[in-house]
Amino acid sequence: MQENLLFVDLSAQTSRLVRDRELFDTWLGGTAAGTELLFRHCPPDCDPLGPDNPVIFVIGPLSGLYPVATKTVALFKSPLTGELGESHAGGRLAAALREADIDALVITGRAPHPIFLTLDNHEVRFHSARTVWGKSALATERILRDFDPQDGRKSSVVRIGPAGERLSPLACATVDSSRHFGRLGLGAVLGAKNLKAILVSGSGAFVPENLKSYRDTYQGIYDKVVHSGEMRKYHDLGTAGNILTLNAIRGLPTRNFSQGYFEGAEALSGENFAKNWLVQHTACAHCQCGCIHVAEIREEFKPYHYRTTKVPYDYELIYALGTQLSLGSPEDVLRLILAVEKEGWDAMSMGCTLAWASEAFLSGIIGLDVTEGLPIQFGDAGGYLEVLNRIRTGAGRFYRDLEGGTAHCAAVYGGERFAMHFGRVEPAGYLTGENALLTWIVGVRHSHLDDGGYGIDQKLLGKPQPLREQVAAQVKDAQWRMITNSLVTCLFARSIYDGETTSAALAALGISRTPEELRRLGEETLRRKHAWKRACGFSPEKVTIPEKLFSVQTSNGPLDRERLAERVRLYLELADIAPASQETGKP
Amino acid sequence: MSKRLTVANRDQCVGCFSCMYACSRTFRRAGSTNKAALRVRVYSGVEGAFSLRTCLRCAEPDCAAACPAGALAVQPQGGVRLERERCISCSACVRACVLKALQWDEEERIPLPCVHCGTCARFCPNNVLTLTEEA
Repeated sequence: MQENLLFVDLSAQTSRLVRDRELFDTWLGGTAAGTELLFRHCPPDCDPLGPDNPVIFVIGPLSGLYPVATKTVALFKSPLTGELGESHAGGRLAAALREADIDALVITGRAPHPIFLTLDNHEVRFHSARTVWGKSALATERILRDFDPQDGRKSSVVRIGPAGERLSPLACATVDSSRHFGRLGLGAVLGAKNLKAILVSGSGAFVPENLKSYRDTYQGIYDKVVHSGEMRKYHDLGTAGNILTLNAIRGLPTRNFSQGYFEGAEALSGENFAKNWLVQHTACAHCQCGCIHVAEIREEFKPYHYRTTKVPYDYELIYALGTQLSLGSPEDVLRLILAVEKEGWDAMSMGCTLAWASEAFLSGIIGLDVTEGLPIQFGDAGGYLEVLNRIRTGAGRFYRDLEGGTAHCAAVYGGERFAMHFGRVEPAGYLTGENALLTWIVGVRHSHLDDGGYGIDQKLLGKPQPLREQVAAQVKDAQWRMITNSLVTCLFARSIYDGETTSAALAALGISRTPEELRRLGEETLRRKHAWKRACGFSPEKVTIPEKLFSVQTSNGPLDRERLAERVRLYLELADIAPASQETGKP
Repeated sequence: MSKRLTVANRDQCVGCFSCMYACSRTFRRAGSTNKAALRVRVYSGVEGAFSLRTCLRCAEPDCAAACPAGALAVQPQGGVRLERERCISCSACVRACVLKALQWDEEERIPLPCVHCGTCARFCPNNVLTLTEEA
């Protein structure tokens, strides 16, 4: 049964274990329990880069016990948006936290100098990170795995790259091999705490309450994951399969959301990547699907001498660092992905910021005087690599501003009308229509993962549906995802973990929740997140839409200003989202 | 005829640990990788790969030879069976296995010899592990 909260105070370099079964009895785990911890431990008015901002990692009741329950939720106040910071990552972290018997890890304070943490079951050690400070996210993993005395090959390694050390609000935290707490600037929050890395390992083994029903339920879920078609697309082509799908319906954002059609889509397609670049699949711990696609680039660095590098790819990376920048060569896109991986930026945010810079340069808002002689132009892969290199090496002011993100750059240099961000968050790769936009406006993380808006857009093509029904479907999906994110299962398995299956999986562990009770918990969790956002001063009604989008074609035609406002109003009504309140409502 | 677990396609491993979870779940009634009688070792970065360490069912097992208490009984078809009442929890057996295939139960302080039942192979989605019949 879940109950263990491990508190780590970086200022005092102490830790303590608190048992709180009621937290999990009430809030299940994951994002619902984490939101309660956010209310308890994160003052909404705190400085995101100050010692008062906690970093909260939470797993859920299914973590490490069932197939594809692979995600860990991180909660914090975001330095990018100044409101709810929430990011989810796979890798081996959830499995390691489960074996260490840590249900939630709450990190507060600020270390006096760079450190990293090792968590061996409940034992916390503080180590100097002076020698790894400045190392890339990839090098840091290589070094720290060897350092860990507890057979490091078992541990999960969470770390930041140099971008997090520089407090870039686009900085991510990387988990094991190529999984990330990508969005909303967790890397900067850790950097501000002088916390370079966290290693987690444990020797525990969880004994389920009802072994027979655990094995039976497990087998049913396993069969769906491995033998049904439910997850096949994620394993076969992976998310990169979306490139041609979206291009066909003119929903693939291209050159800073100028259009939904990219003329080089064939080359960047999941099919082409698989045929010519894919060398390996890997998986998060306890995911038999294995959606991580790894490509290889081979470069001659002097005659007959080659260096070979493996680079993970996904749809959102190909969009952000490919179609958005008008790059049609997989090799160029992979080189950019690698540069972003090493520094530890969020690829979507960095890609969109580079796209803003390209349009700003094209339209004359910034010139060579600002860019210090470097043209920033769509299609110029070498130019973009040089931009990233200049940010990395701390070149002039413009390059320091670039890693502040799109909203920051537009505020400093102009070009707001084509600055692609929603509530300061750069969007994912969907120019499908108003449902996708609504997700970015009202979604708790301004993320395409908050609900299936872009999917609803795709289903609408040729099949109109009343506005209220569209929004109602989005709200319902957003509420159920609160449960997915509390279990914590991967969203790719959301069709497998329906209400009945989830109830049965929980029952085998001795947790009684009917599908109806789960639904109510999802509704309440969504409301509470919005309450916390409002306490930070955020209001969905005030999110501005980049003006440029009103003159481009989406898959569902042009956007309508009034209709979008009506969608926002309907969403808030249907989700019953109340004005700011910090009261602890219980489901 | 006897059955032997073998690593047929190491390079098809995606590192999902499904095999280790299956072994722990089936033999030790536990949701964990820590009670499994085999190990998938991981290496840093996407540049890495996976290495599977499974019991070879040796005819003259180093683990049994290293045991000062005679707790690992060599089986007629090779491999060992733990005679638990004899085990003194010294872990010499685990250290003697060069492959690091023999696993150690931290909680109960006993080795976890593989019985070559093939449960891990049944839960491998990529045909990395197989159970083969041998004369």
